[in-house]
Amino acid sequence: MEELFFIQGEVAPALWKGLLVSFRLIVPSALFGVVIGVFVGVLRVFGNPFVAGLANTYVALFRGFPLVVQLFIWYFGLPHIGIYFTPYGASVIAFSLCSGAYHSEYVRGALLSIKRGQMLAAQALGFSKVQMIWSVVLPQAFRRALPGCGNEIVYLIKYSSLAYMITCIELTGQGKIIASETFKYTEVFMIVGAVYLVLTSFASWGLHHLESRFRIPGFQHYGM
Amino acid sequence: MMESLAAIREALPYLLQGSLVTLGLVAGALGLGLVVGTFLAVGQVYGSSWVRRLVFLYVWFFRGVPLLVLLFLFYFGLFTFFQINISAFTASVIVLGLISAAYQSQILRGSILSLPEGQMKAAKALGMSNVQGIFLIILPQAFRLSVPGWSNEYSIVLKDTAVSYALGVMEVMARAHFVASRTYEHLPLYFTAGVIFLILTYGGTKALRVLEDRVRIPGYSQR
Amino acid sequence: MNGNQIILQVEKLTKRYGDKEVLKDASFSIRKGELKILIGPSGGGKSTLLQCINFLVRPNAGRIFLDGREVLYSRKRDLYAYRQKVGMIFQDFNLFDHLTALGNVEIALVRVKKMSREEARMRASAELDRVGLKDHMEKYPAQLSGGQKQRVSIARALAMDPKVMLLDEPTSALDPELISEVLSVIRDLRANGMTMIMSTHQISFASEMADEILFMEDGIIVEAGAPKKLFARAECQRTREFFMKIAEIYGESR
Repeated sequence: MEELFFIQGEVAPALWKGLLVSFRLIVPSALFGVVIGVFVGVLRVFGNPFVAGLANTYVALFRGFPLVVQLFIWYFGLPHIGIYFTPYGASVIAFSLCSGAYHSEYVRGALLSIKRGQMLAAQALGFSKVQMIWSVVLPQAFRRALPGCGNEIVYLIKYSSLAYMITCIELTGQGKIIASETFKYTEVFMIVGAVYLVLTSFASWGLHHLESRFRIPGFQHYGM
Repeated sequence: MMESLAAIREALPYLLQGSLVTLGLVAGALGLGLVVGTFLAVGQVYGSSWVRRLVFLYVWFFRGVPLLVLLFLFYFGLFTFFQINISAFTASVIVLGLISAAYQSQILRGSILSLPEGQMKAAKALGMSNVQGIFLIILPQAFRLSVPGWSNEYSIVLKDTAVSYALGVMEVMARAHFVASRTYEHLPLYFTAGVIFLILTYGGTKALRVLEDRVRIPGYSQR
Repeated sequence: MNGNQIILQVEKLTKRYGDKEVLKDASFSIRKGELKILIGPSGGGKSTLLQCINFLVRPNAGRIFLDGREVLYSRKRDLYAYRQKVGMIFQDFNLFDHLTALGNVEIALVRVKKMSREEARMRASAELDRVGLKDHMEKYPAQLSGGQKQRVSIARALAMDPKVMLLDEPTSALDPELISEVLSVIRDLRANGMTMIMSTHQISFASEMADEILFMEDGIIVEAGAPKKLFARAECQRTREFFMKIAEIYGESR
């Protein structure tokens, strides 16, 4: 029993340090990911064929390559052509770009589901394309994309653990270090798992809450 | 540039062998996920309230804890705690499978719930037991409806197999890193690995589309 | 018709959903070969009554007797055996969408009655032939018209050799021109001596074919009697009102 407390004394600070790194990975990546996703999504739906084509290629690549491969490319691969990133930097870039591709899928779906008639009405009123997108389409698309994008952020919380594989020591990495020193793999990873569970549950709950807050009566389902 | 292409060509057979390992992981995981997922879905739709609670807990756990953490927990934890020794490959299949089961159960559950109530009623009216109704009438239809969802699940699990590299499974990514650390051709090799995954994804989703056409019930468009 | 033994007896069936009583103390009996028809406004409890008889809906109170013996449904096996003897036709057909017409009729024969595949196939083909669908056996439900679907559903129920058939508004989901094909099948069943309880809005059919009409409203069997009587000289005020309205719409006067 004392062993347990002793371990908590040693283990807890290290895990806490790792958790802070995890936050510093997740928050920027989530933000960048959403911004990239909205931008790319809009380009895919409203851009001219060339731009849309580029955007689609980006999405196909970054959704097709496993995240592990992307992480390795940014950290181990780019030095090959002279670009060096820290483990942290490479992780944030990889997470943001990968996440952004997935976000753009949800944004695209949401944009396509907005009834065409509204856009025609906006144009008839004299809105420019940009104004129309900003004032009429995005506010509605945001609500439709919220579940998908919110889910993607929950995924990001889980996949942030992969930063360990390119030596960025966040929560999982710290857990592995401690576990390999003490051989208490089961205990340590149960704690680590529990922490992630709390994070993802909290995020899901928050997402749910947001969805209710922004609900428009009668505006539930996709596409008509 | 030339050395890169040469390095790729030399490593290609080795990498492609790795894709067999990858496919083995995917097949095992999806298979396990299908069996467990079906039981979870049936339990969630037709079970008593405590069965439903258990399923909910299972789904919450396996969708909430990261894959990497579960791999470590299972592979190392099992060994240190229970003294059971299994291969990294087996451990990966099991963990990937249990996670996939959580997601597949929700896909299947959605399909089951989208079927009209009358199907089960007619089955019962003919004297079928609940079990017969579920396995002869509901599931054959629910499975067909779930094929698009499985396409998505296939591509997700395929990419997740790369994480098993952390346990030392010599799949595509692990092999790419192995060769790269010897030849220093990191970028070209990882890019090649990525392309292999793209091809595997494309092939798999194509195959599933064929499956979808094969099992389609004549005259039955979307619900 | 009289002098035949009582096949089914229903005693004080009651069903509540929360504090809403949708079926209250429904009682009646039916003899071999009779056709009794339930008529009344929607929501009056006709469907609930029929579904209580084969326990698709569990009644809160009441008893059911088949061939004089009380039906105890607590043991699953007894319940399944009972349901084989009571056939049901649904308003929405409820054909199994993943099976052909032949498959739909066969499946219960093989799985519930434990027949061999060959026997089941022969019987299923015969039943489908009987309802006039010999050329449609390999078709899937989505490829059949509404009238054809309902006829498959009748064949499916008949193949089980039921003692009594329950028909829950069998033609309500059909386009008008398809109704007659289903009604003619039901007429044939009647002529062959099948005992049937049916709910319907087809007034002229009811007045022509029924041995007895049961008028239901708000979960109660308000009145029961021969068609001639209910149409012309019903005892209850409410019954008279209803049938007068009906007569206006359908131009009946018997």
